[in-house]
Amino acid sequence: MNGFHPKLCRLLLLAAALTTQVSAQQWKAPTTMKKLANGLVVVVSEDHSAPTFGLCVSYGIGFRLEPEGRTGFAHLFEHMMFEGTPNAPKGVLMRAIEGGGGNLNGDTRYDYTEYIETAPVSALDPVLWIEADRMKTLDFSTKNLENQRNVVEEEVRVNVLNRPYGLFFAIDLPGKAFDTYPNAHNFYGEFKDLDSAKIADVQKFYEQYYAPNNAVLAIVGDVQPADIFAKVEKYFSAIPVREIPPRPNVEEPPQKSERRATESDKLAKVPALAVGYRMPPRHSPDALAAAVTGELLHNGQASRLYQALVKEKQVALSVDGGLNWPLGTPYEYNGPTLMTSFIVYPANVSEDQLLTAYDSTIAELVGKGPSQQDLDRIVAKMRSDWYDQLEVPINRASALSHAVLFDGTFDAVYQIPDELAKVTPAEIQAFAAKYLVSSNRTIMDRVPAQTGAAPEKKQGAGQ
Amino acid sequence: MNKMMLVLAVLFFVSLSFAQKEVPMPKDLPPYGTEKPLRAPSVKTAKLDNGLAVWLVSEPGFPKVAFTVAVRGGFAADPADRPGISELLSKTIDQGTKARTAKQIAQELQASGGDLSAGSDKDFIEVSTAVLASRLDAGIAVLSDVVQNASFPDAEVALAKRNLADSLRQRESEPSFLAARAMAKVLFGDHPYHVTSPSQECVAAANATDLRRIFMQRFRPDQAILVAVGDFDDAKMMEVVKAKFAAWKAPDESALPGLKRPSNAPEHAVYVVTRPGSVQTTLELGTFGPLRGDPDYEAAMVANAIYGGTFSSRLTGNIREDKGYTYSPYSRLRVYQVAGVLVTHADVRNEVTAPTLNEINYELNRLATTAPSDEELSKAKHYLVGRDAIQLQARAALSNQLAGLWVDGLPPEEIGIHGQKIANASVSEVQTAAKRYFPAFQTAIVAVGEEKVVREAMAPFGIPVKTLQ
Repeated sequence: MNGFHPKLCRLLLLAAALTTQVSAQQWKAPTTMKKLANGLVVVVSEDHSAPTFGLCVSYGIGFRLEPEGRTGFAHLFEHMMFEGTPNAPKGVLMRAIEGGGGNLNGDTRYDYTEYIETAPVSALDPVLWIEADRMKTLDFSTKNLENQRNVVEEEVRVNVLNRPYGLFFAIDLPGKAFDTYPNAHNFYGEFKDLDSAKIADVQKFYEQYYAPNNAVLAIVGDVQPADIFAKVEKYFSAIPVREIPPRPNVEEPPQKSERRATESDKLAKVPALAVGYRMPPRHSPDALAAAVTGELLHNGQASRLYQALVKEKQVALSVDGGLNWPLGTPYEYNGPTLMTSFIVYPANVSEDQLLTAYDSTIAELVGKGPSQQDLDRIVAKMRSDWYDQLEVPINRASALSHAVLFDGTFDAVYQIPDELAKVTPAEIQAFAAKYLVSSNRTIMDRVPAQTGAAPEKKQGAGQ
Repeated sequence: MNKMMLVLAVLFFVSLSFAQKEVPMPKDLPPYGTEKPLRAPSVKTAKLDNGLAVWLVSEPGFPKVAFTVAVRGGFAADPADRPGISELLSKTIDQGTKARTAKQIAQELQASGGDLSAGSDKDFIEVSTAVLASRLDAGIAVLSDVVQNASFPDAEVALAKRNLADSLRQRESEPSFLAARAMAKVLFGDHPYHVTSPSQECVAAANATDLRRIFMQRFRPDQAILVAVGDFDDAKMMEVVKAKFAAWKAPDESALPGLKRPSNAPEHAVYVVTRPGSVQTTLELGTFGPLRGDPDYEAAMVANAIYGGTFSSRLTGNIREDKGYTYSPYSRLRVYQVAGVLVTHADVRNEVTAPTLNEINYELNRLATTAPSDEELSKAKHYLVGRDAIQLQARAALSNQLAGLWVDGLPPEEIGIHGQKIANASVSEVQTAAKRYFPAFQTAIVAVGEEKVVREAMAPFGIPVKTLQ
């Protein structure tokens, strides 16, 4: 979310699906992996179609584990990773990468924080040196912290406070759907928490989580694995192992009944509804059915919710959503997550009308399941979407590094397609019957404030 | 291409040996390696008997194919009483043909792994999809049907009108939409380029008959291109294209007339768009820039990269990394067929509206009046050439990029030529372009926010402040 270019600001990038198709042979890129003595895992995938590379360093820390009283800190910290080190003062990183023909960004998510670059291969050595340099230490500068605190607060204003709907489906909805701090807090940060963050917090967070043994480096492009492993050894092997705090339990107490809330929005002109169902853990046998169901309901104009709500019943203007949406693909989460629907609807339609139509779409899936043809179609689309995710080196590097970070292996990146092909209509139906029930969901309606007597927007969204 | 890279390499090493005023690069930062030439895409071009341009890029090894169909005539070609109707047309073009319902179109494309995306710009309408290579026949069947036989069913048009009216009301609450719309009005006045979206009046008045008429006028093979990029054999693809598109006939009426280049310079004034409840001011400074074919186009691009087109640019360094006024400031050089536009954009908290404008003015004038450093020049050139190489990685992006070249009347080789011109731009050419396009006094300033906040902030600058309705 250190987004210079709006196109690269990926917070709102819609989740692309990882998946496959029933019979066709799977596409796979040559990919190898190695672990350094200090615990840093390196993944290399060759792609010689262009003289470029994409690189991703993912650290095993995200919003979920940021300290209480420091909401938004994982993301604020991400910004500090661009602010220089004792060896490479502020500005050097951008100059070296862009001067090599590349560009760069960072993203913070619930379960990882990633730093990404793409450039012509001639810039490979300087980029690796820079990633190693900021894995050793940072310039823990109060002045830079003050500067980036301002920048992040502007980011919150532009994406939340000055924007209709204020990302309520991504911030407020989980806040209502979950009960414990790791999963429920405002990840962009309350301003009082951002304002009270100190440089000592930055130092401590860095020492706790930004260690080679809590990171995965993936490189994709016009490179040779042996050459990359040698370079990585050269630049990263002297960085010492550090002790990482044990992962706390982030599980949620079970939800017992449907939750409802209404918010007022002083910038929106038409209402919107968000629905979030709690989802099974990623390694549960139901997880693949969850991913497919999310796409069956939300992916494009052929999706069930679009066809039912926008076209047939005409009670909605747009439908978005899916499993782990909008902050990741249906496979890249490592703790409690939701299947979210975000529906913008006309002012002359009531929340009840919309919800009745929504519920009958869900009921139909629970009652009849998808046909084999419906399932084949969405699986083809998911496979195609997943290839899109793997096409460009920087994105493939990102997918590989997340997989290894979560599971210690990148196999899933290439295997999930085969696994998904095994999902049956009966499994989708059983999944829907078990999870898409009202006692497992949270519904949040966001309505335009009445002009004149404008009540203040709820403050959950970032203030 | 080799020659270009050699030039760049030389420039780079020159820059390393002359440390600039900036912090010197760390002594143990490794040097850049040998540059590999950018592999410009190999594009097979053809023209069908009906005039349809066909550009094919065969890239085996990755199981997807991207298609783009572009036709000349976008917002700027919309009838005067239907400004912006191109958007309604692109929203309804996939809502039915003689052979398929909207649902069938969506489902058949989904089964081939695709979605249809259609959009309109000032000069063109583009329809594209990316499908699994193993199902490209099914994908191209739907695409070719849509661009030749869209039927605009009355019920679908009525629904799309209603939804577009609400969607427009929604967009009118977004500051970036308001700023872009206002800037187009200020820069282009009555020129057809002032249209960026439909008006509510247009949406209310438009009907299926309008759409069918405009579709017939613009979706004609002699004013269209089909681009395909991906895993296919050129000869086989050409057969498929002929089978699907050869029967497409151009109407007898002549094609749309061309446009004149707008000549009016914008008044250096602040144009306020009132947005009650804004916690930020969205600032845009706009002026005219070069066209893609102008001799100083590449020099102006380099100037823009130095000024505000990159993360390490002066603008970002100043108002983000030094002052912390804003999150994602940028400047952009956009080119249309008959106009180039240079826009600076920043969303800033209300209380720093005035200081931000002061810094933007300073950076514009600094660029226009003093030479960039060697490092800045080298960095900007490398960034732009590298970006070209990176953009070639994605099939769908390349397909759209090629269609865009065709719209502007340029050949596919332009991708490589452009990089050479960037590499060859001299410091004096960059300075000349900067002096011509960047002085702050030439800009029109759009400010979206609380009117009182903006008016108070603008007072010290002594330029006219006007409220736009």
